[in-house]
Amino acid sequence: MSDIQLYLLEYDRNKREASAIAQQSATRLQKAELKLLMLIEELGEYFNSEDGAIRSKTLSYLAEVLSFIPQKVLSLQQRNLLCEFVLSRIENDVDGLGSCAKGLLALEELGKWDNGRVTKIVETLLQNTHPLRQYKLQSERYPVLQLIDTMMAKYRDALRTFHDITPDFMSRFISYFDGEKDPRNLMVVFSILRVPMTEWSIGADAQDLFDAVFNYFPITFRPPPDDPYGITAQHLKDRLRDCIASTPDFAPYAFPALLDKLDSTSMNTKRDVLQAITSSVIEYGPHTVSLYSITLWDALKFEVLNVQEEDLAQEALNGLAAIAKSLSQGTSGSLNAYLRPVTKECNEHLEDAPTKQSQASGRILHKIAGVSAEVANITLARVLPNIFLLFQTADTIAKRRGLLEVLVQLIRANIEVYGDWRSIGMMRERTPPNALAQFRDQTIEVMSNGLSTAPIKEVSFRLVCLDGLLQLSKTRQLLSDEDIERIIQLFHAIVINEESYGKDEIKEAAINGLVEIAHQKPQVVVDKAFPAFMAELPDSDVDQPKGYVPVLEAFAKLGNEEKIFDTVILRLKNKFSSAVKQNASSAYIVALLSAILYALNQGANKLEQNPESSPYYNDIVLPLLSRASSSDASHPKAFDDETTLDLVGRICNIIIRPQPLEQQNKISAELYTLFRGTSQTDLPPFYTIASLEKTKNMIISTHVLASFRREVVLPCDIQVLISSLIDFSQQPFLSSPVRSASLRQISLIVNKFIPTSSLKSYLESMLHVSTGLLNPEKLNPPRIRIIFAALKGLVLRNSALLSTIYPALLSFLSHPIHGETVALGFTTLLQPDDLLMKQNHCQISGLHKQKSFALLVPNITTSFREASVEMKPNYLIALSGVLKWMPFEIVVEEVRQLVPLLLQSLDMKGEDLVKEAAIGTLTSILQERPKQIEEHAGSVISRLLNNSTPAAQTKSVGGLGKETMQNTPPRVRATALRCLTLVPEKLRQEIVLPYRRQVVKKLTAALDDRKREVRGAAVRCRSRWMDVDEVGDD
Amino acid sequence: MEPDKDNANPTILNPSDLPSRRRESSVKKREDGGTGLFDDLVSSYNYLGDPFERPVSSSDSDDDSVEDIDEQEIYDLISSISDPEHPLSLGSLAVVNLPDIRILPPTSPHSSISTVVVEITPTITHCSLATVIGLGVRVRLEQALPPRFRVDVRIKKGTHSTDEAVNKQLGDKERVAAALENGTLMGVLRKMLSTCE
Repeated sequence: MSDIQLYLLEYDRNKREASAIAQQSATRLQKAELKLLMLIEELGEYFNSEDGAIRSKTLSYLAEVLSFIPQKVLSLQQRNLLCEFVLSRIENDVDGLGSCAKGLLALEELGKWDNGRVTKIVETLLQNTHPLRQYKLQSERYPVLQLIDTMMAKYRDALRTFHDITPDFMSRFISYFDGEKDPRNLMVVFSILRVPMTEWSIGADAQDLFDAVFNYFPITFRPPPDDPYGITAQHLKDRLRDCIASTPDFAPYAFPALLDKLDSTSMNTKRDVLQAITSSVIEYGPHTVSLYSITLWDALKFEVLNVQEEDLAQEALNGLAAIAKSLSQGTSGSLNAYLRPVTKECNEHLEDAPTKQSQASGRILHKIAGVSAEVANITLARVLPNIFLLFQTADTIAKRRGLLEVLVQLIRANIEVYGDWRSIGMMRERTPPNALAQFRDQTIEVMSNGLSTAPIKEVSFRLVCLDGLLQLSKTRQLLSDEDIERIIQLFHAIVINEESYGKDEIKEAAINGLVEIAHQKPQVVVDKAFPAFMAELPDSDVDQPKGYVPVLEAFAKLGNEEKIFDTVILRLKNKFSSAVKQNASSAYIVALLSAILYALNQGANKLEQNPESSPYYNDIVLPLLSRASSSDASHPKAFDDETTLDLVGRICNIIIRPQPLEQQNKISAELYTLFRGTSQTDLPPFYTIASLEKTKNMIISTHVLASFRREVVLPCDIQVLISSLIDFSQQPFLSSPVRSASLRQISLIVNKFIPTSSLKSYLESMLHVSTGLLNPEKLNPPRIRIIFAALKGLVLRNSALLSTIYPALLSFLSHPIHGETVALGFTTLLQPDDLLMKQNHCQISGLHKQKSFALLVPNITTSFREASVEMKPNYLIALSGVLKWMPFEIVVEEVRQLVPLLLQSLDMKGEDLVKEAAIGTLTSILQERPKQIEEHAGSVISRLLNNSTPAAQTKSVGGLGKETMQNTPPRVRATALRCLTLVPEKLRQEIVLPYRRQVVKKLTAALDDRKREVRGAAVRCRSRWMDVDEVGDD
Repeated sequence: MEPDKDNANPTILNPSDLPSRRRESSVKKREDGGTGLFDDLVSSYNYLGDPFERPVSSSDSDDDSVEDIDEQEIYDLISSISDPEHPLSLGSLAVVNLPDIRILPPTSPHSSISTVVVEITPTITHCSLATVIGLGVRVRLEQALPPRFRVDVRIKKGTHSTDEAVNKQLGDKERVAAALENGTLMGVLRKMLSTCE
């Protein structure tokens, strides 16, 4: 059989097989085993078949063969002949048009056509297949459109010349595509028509061309769920919009048509209209836009003045700004003509501020004034005098506030155009001078007066004044340093002297304002505000009330600004030294240390930039350490308190952390002596019966140890150090913070300082099941603490030892005496830690949570089932400790096994933290994997309801709970309610509907909860459930 | 555009000026007058705590103090309702105001029924939607308050041309119940209440 016979056989059975046959023929042609002439001859009989289907399949074969033939196999002459042949098929046969187009496309790939060929093809198509919609199959039309699109792309000149010399071509060409409905084809049609729109002179055809695309406006297409081509409504909208905006010749048709559709009741249509208007304004150019600017203003303003949907107002504002922007590139006359009605109307609305429309006017002015210096200056000149006039005659503060809000909007727009002190905005070379300068003094006066003289309860009015002053001081080259100084004075007076009112919004805004000004004008702030702040901070607070805290807070915040960071630290440090000298109270010293630490945290990046040259080690760390370790007068009383020492430790840590290795080695030698000049063997942890005072410095040592790089040489052999720490931490007389600090040193050493090669031998002897800590007979709380401390270090570095240690530890959950203590410990393993972290040079594996989850959770769920009734709670406690810190992506693997355990956790009594964690996990499951909870819906709902009221539960499920009767605390109640709120949102309606009545009824109890937070959650939850039978309507 | 709006251009209050619950608990605790900026320097779950000892649940002691439902709480419940004409809250339009909310204690020692009285102020005196707004406030409160409260919503005297007629409607239980059977009206109410937190 010949190839064509085989092809026809396979065509309806297996398209891929058929293509393979065409490919074979192509290969044979290439190898010259088959002559082109022969091939055509073989086809002849089928081309003449009575059956249209066979003729079109034959054409499909030819097209496929041509598409498989590589370059240069066919000669120019052969290609020409083939072209002629295919064209003759188009002329004489209605079937197989798609394949003809494919064939031509393949031929075009094989060699460029001349202009005559291109026009002939187009002419043939237009004469014989016009209009294209007569071909019912979209797959038949698609190749034709592709062919035309390809010619449009590659033979632009040829087609344009053809258009120029053929008078009726354009109209036939446009109507050729009439009635196309398929989205994929439409994408191509839009792309084809855009070429004549943008590049040809279309003259009288403009309206037809416009209508050809605008007929499709607005696009309401919704793609079918399994659309193979992935064309969305947005794709079509974007192309259509590009077409509409393609040429100013469309303006006379586009603007009236678009504005007509703007009256539509459909928000989607309005959105499309507004976007199309904006694109058109941008593309059509100032001359065309000037003809329509006022018509557009009259239509678009309504969308802002009477907001229907916020995003529509935003689009309308974009349109108004685009007009202003376009016109500022044109003549000043047309710009003025546009701005006149805009400013006039806005001025009118300002008269009855503060209203919805005066607010809208402010938005319009802000948006428009931000497009260029010309517009900004015209707007200012037309609006500001009116604002000031209205302000003087205003009879209420509310009105003044409304007016100033607009003024501030204009200043903000001014900054967008003229820039601030640190950046130059959009200024070009020949930018006109800033018109705001003429109004400078008046503006400052109005706002300064408002801020300093308005009653303290006029919060919003004063906030606007404050914001206005801040924006003025930021505006590039507008105010003198003296003006800015006065503004700074106003601000710090508010921070320092004003009494607290309401939510203290003014104070917060003032301090944030100072930080912002410091970013623009650091030196002015240092010169003006710093002395004022310092004057408020006493050297000693003995006789003074505690007014210093807000001042300190504000001052520490200033450290946020990089340029004044060093000065802030320096002043705080000096203040600290004099306070210690003057015997200030412990509270004051703690506040100063807190302020230093806060500022250092803000500037941590700056500290890391050049640690070698940083003065803070000598200036801050050394004095602090010597004060802590001394026992004479230089040792402040505050330093006897553990929390103060913790602050000191943290300050040292953040400064030592970036220091180079040699420097850290020097500090390491003094890790436990803290430069007191004695031998470390007389001190903890080596000397276990040290005085209580001396043990407290272990807290500082812990932070310093945390700051070291991994390569640092420790002050003694690691094994000696670990066993000293183990002994020391078991001393019964230690205070709880000191014990925790010593334990944390064990974690740090295990994590950072033991190389992987020796980890196994160190840990195995330490944690041996008979001779070491893991011996069940010797188990006691101090030893359990040490085990978890060591584990913490291992977990984070993802050590392989975990797989042997974890099972031993899990078996302790059933330990008759200490099972519960072990269970409580699990929460420590993955809890975020502010010592063991990357910045402290710790080894933190990215996968450590996955690993612990895999080693622990499946084991716990299985052991739980086998555990005795009394021991079951321990497993739930341990589980909640692990899950508490686990990201949900990891938990999701085991959801099915976990849900029953979580539900049982909710039945426990007294274990509030376990409950809260269980509800938290249920919440995540509801959010991410609601399907997994569907089958448990009833149990989940009733348990959450039970936990939503404080009453003690009477039911005892499986004998789980404790004997003590305890109420459910407010936090758990609120969490349960929030989780219950999610249930109707996340589960299918048919699942939750049966519970609706019961839930709504039972929730009335929670509405009367004693705590406001719980009541709030109950109100939300109840209204969500009440809506249940009404969803699905929309 | 909806040219049929009764009041197309209402006056708007700024959120900062609306009454809100001061953070009483935090303000009271802070005798030093600070904002608590330094409280987070040491994270709450830092190493100094001891997880092995059962936490003495601090919330238990908190639970004893009772926070009663007060006027501000009623205000918070209804001020976030949207106006049927504008995408703005009843609070920012000053339709509901804190001083116009009163909670009347039970009339006799044997009764546990308190009454909440809310007087609403329409933005203009001929507002045709005053009844709908009143109904919305009423529905919201009935859904959100425990059953021991009676809800009494009325138009503030002298702020509406037909305030008495409207008050009669709002006070008539049967007419309220009948109104809630009306699908279109319920649709409007649902939209108004959808902005409530």
